[in-house]
Amino acid sequence: MMILGWLRLALVAMVVLTVVYVLIGIYWRSLQREALEKRWAHDAMQGDRDAWIEAGMKAYEGGLKKRLLWLIYILPMIGFSLIFFYVNWD
Amino acid sequence: MRYVKWTLWLLVFLLVGGFLHYTLPQHDIVRIVGTENRRVDVGENSIFWSRAEVGMVNSTSRDVYFINARYPDGKTMEFRNEDTGWGWPPYFKVDSAGLMTKAKDMVSTAQAPVWVSITHYGWRNKLFTIFPNAVGVKQVEGPDVTIIPWFNIFFFVMLGFILLLIRRMWLQFRERTIDPAFDRAGDAWDRVDARADEAAAGARGAWGRFTGWLGSWKSKPRR
Repeated sequence: MMILGWLRLALVAMVVLTVVYVLIGIYWRSLQREALEKRWAHDAMQGDRDAWIEAGMKAYEGGLKKRLLWLIYILPMIGFSLIFFYVNWD
Repeated sequence: MRYVKWTLWLLVFLLVGGFLHYTLPQHDIVRIVGTENRRVDVGENSIFWSRAEVGMVNSTSRDVYFINARYPDGKTMEFRNEDTGWGWPPYFKVDSAGLMTKAKDMVSTAQAPVWVSITHYGWRNKLFTIFPNAVGVKQVEGPDVTIIPWFNIFFFVMLGFILLLIRRMWLQFRERTIDPAFDRAGDAWDRVDARADEAAAGARGAWGRFTGWLGSWKSKPRR
């Protein structure tokens, strides 16, 4: 029971956080694409618009901002650890 | 119709507010009168009780720690002291025994009062025999100290941020995905553009393919 209860909590948290991760991932990608489209229009750039936007999206996928999304998993784990410590050992 | 709407909103507000008021931590300044360990047989009020300690067999008939206390104005309050373990609400409390030791150590009389701040969640209800669950106890200077609820401040700031984020995400989704779909359906010229979009959807990753697939279910224009 002891291990099972903990496992169930971890599993539920993993599923919920993965849903959040996917949704925010979609949102950020959409923001990024919109920003690229707006910059193209604002700077009145010439040439292959789609290729330029895809290149920008590719840079985003490998960039730092994309990696910050892992905070969606990391911050709740830190929160759990803090609460667990202050409630039981402080 | 307007009254129905407002009544619904009031109900939602009361439900959410009540839920948060029950679940979030509160600090009570009290004097601990005594502690006890008493057998309870949890009945219809079971959602207001916790569970057996982590690792123990759960049962509706079990021993529960209690902390009896008095407020500075003389009113009485009784706290239960149960583990929440890995369940709801997420206090992850597994140290009810340790809390009991601290509470026993702070018992005092009216002549020589020791004032403590008990952190707890939950409500006291005499009608349904409901007790708030203590999660922490700390000695304080006197009965008049102010305690700043840092956690609740942080919680509501985060809640506001998350609600704002959800709103922004929805608006973005509507602007970029739903509205364009409606525009496409309305205008024949745009359909040519839409087809180009769908062709490009392959390069747009999973989401693009998904919206492209959704679009493929639309009826073809009649000629």
